[in-house]
Amino acid sequence: MARSAISAANRWKYMKRDKYLYLLMLPGLFLIFLFKYVPMYGIVIAFKDYNILLGVFDSPWVGLDQFERLFRTPDFIQIFRNTFLISLYKLVFGFPAPIILALLLNELRNGFFKRFTQSVLYLPHFLSWVIFTGIIVAFLNPVDGVVNYVLSAAGMKTVNFMIIPEYFRTLLVSTHIYKEMGWGTIIYLAAMSGVNPDLYEAARVDGANKFRQMWHVTLPSIRSVILILMILDLGSILEAGFMQVFLLYNPLVYDVGDIIDTYVYRVGIQSANYSLATAAGLFKSVISLALIYTANKIVQKSGQNGLW
Amino acid sequence: MTGMSRGERLFGIINYSIMLLLIAAMIYPFWYLAMASLSDPKLTALGGLYLLPKGFTWDAYITVLGDTSFWSGFRVSIVVTILGSLIGTFLTAATAYAISKNRLQGRMAVSFLILFTMLFSGGLVPNYLLLKELGMLDTLWALIIPGTLSAFHIFVMRSFFVGLPEEVEEAAKIDGANDLTVFFRIVLPLSKAVLATIGLFMAVAYWNDFFSTILYITDKEKWQLQAVLRNLIDQAVQSSSNGPNGDQIHVSAFTVRSASILLATLPILLVYPFLQKHFVKGAMIGSIKG
Repeated sequence: MARSAISAANRWKYMKRDKYLYLLMLPGLFLIFLFKYVPMYGIVIAFKDYNILLGVFDSPWVGLDQFERLFRTPDFIQIFRNTFLISLYKLVFGFPAPIILALLLNELRNGFFKRFTQSVLYLPHFLSWVIFTGIIVAFLNPVDGVVNYVLSAAGMKTVNFMIIPEYFRTLLVSTHIYKEMGWGTIIYLAAMSGVNPDLYEAARVDGANKFRQMWHVTLPSIRSVILILMILDLGSILEAGFMQVFLLYNPLVYDVGDIIDTYVYRVGIQSANYSLATAAGLFKSVISLALIYTANKIVQKSGQNGLW
Repeated sequence: MTGMSRGERLFGIINYSIMLLLIAAMIYPFWYLAMASLSDPKLTALGGLYLLPKGFTWDAYITVLGDTSFWSGFRVSIVVTILGSLIGTFLTAATAYAISKNRLQGRMAVSFLILFTMLFSGGLVPNYLLLKELGMLDTLWALIIPGTLSAFHIFVMRSFFVGLPEEVEEAAKIDGANDLTVFFRIVLPLSKAVLATIGLFMAVAYWNDFFSTILYITDKEKWQLQAVLRNLIDQAVQSSSNGPNGDQIHVSAFTVRSASILLATLPILLVYPFLQKHFVKGAMIGSIKG
């Protein structure tokens, strides 16, 4: 009690002393308030029947009607499923890729070649999705794309990959891995560089080959990094990759490719169904928040530093 | 080199081969685009591997570079990228510096408010409606301001500032400098590396941004390059299904598409060496703790 009384008396003095620090963060905080917190208030339209003439404030409340409408939309279950599945496949196939790649890169002994390889592998991460999907579409083009050129040269039928539902998720997952696996190695490589070289020497003396060294020395040493990244990825399982899907999908593959984010865009921005789209977005945000919170708790329980 | 067993040598050979294959897989698309864009459209109708151009002509580049929408997109993206990353880096640094000071009253609350924006957001529609209410739709500000600050960047920068030696600042304080002078005269000059890192990351994000145009801009003169490019690619895909018919200007949808993708990638390739110098550091600081 006494302590807080003293600090309360001194608080004003401290704040006055640090006035320039407050001044420094003022513009940043203002922007965060305006562009992050005001839209959070805007979420109320998920519980209203938003009318563009009345505005956010004066539109009538409708309770949970928008959510009822949303869940009764026949497509919504499918869209939720698509979001979850695409993300899950990306996790199952995409998560191990940078670990394996980092294990291999870690074994390169030629410093120049190693650095060169890394530079090349990181590059796709920096390409915009427009450029990247532009390349994908160019490669898969049924008329003049290189993939179909190879198929027909090998005597096989050409395929219009972009419009066949069976191929769409595979396309998303594989191109996602191609773009991000190199970048994903950075963290693992850093963790691997901290492994004591004596451990490898000891393993070699015991007759362990490269694979056994990776399995018994390298992997256990980076276990905690793997664990944290895995849990955080699980926490963002509803992030199926909006830009990638948005730029690659078309009505012919909606059944397998339409995700919550693309649905929100079409319903909300294109059809101006503001309240319904906000409800769909909120549904996703709340689940995501719960997942990330839980994931972080698990990381902390395991004795690691979490996200916060 | 000494004492390498046969198994290890074999592993090495396989490993290097895998890496060479991956390098080829990463570089080939660009090579393909480059060769395709230089090809004579009369010869490209049936596709190919394009290890070398089929025929040779600069016409695709002349067409793209003569396209006013391409230049307009280029200009918009340059302006947005430069303004956005300058403003963003400065505001990020200023905010991060303030919350890096333990003595600051309310520091924990402010940090939490910033952190929370990483976990939860208003979402697409409320953001759109806000910009609409603010009258920012169809202005370049809509492309710049909403994305200037990210919680992630602020925390990366904060963890860097926390690591700066306290003594230098203390010394300046004794000489009568206030927090503003310390920040501008001492802290910013000491932080060039981290400022460059964050600035480059922001610049890449602004340059690659496509969706802000789709959401907020209808006036074609204010489209970012990525949106212009997407438009170009879309048109190209549609007309290519008829098959290119080499007309008097000697370009086809296919060659133009290849040339425009390559040209839009060029700025990224040009800054890539600088980016690379910093980004590993950036990715590492960020991963240590948010």
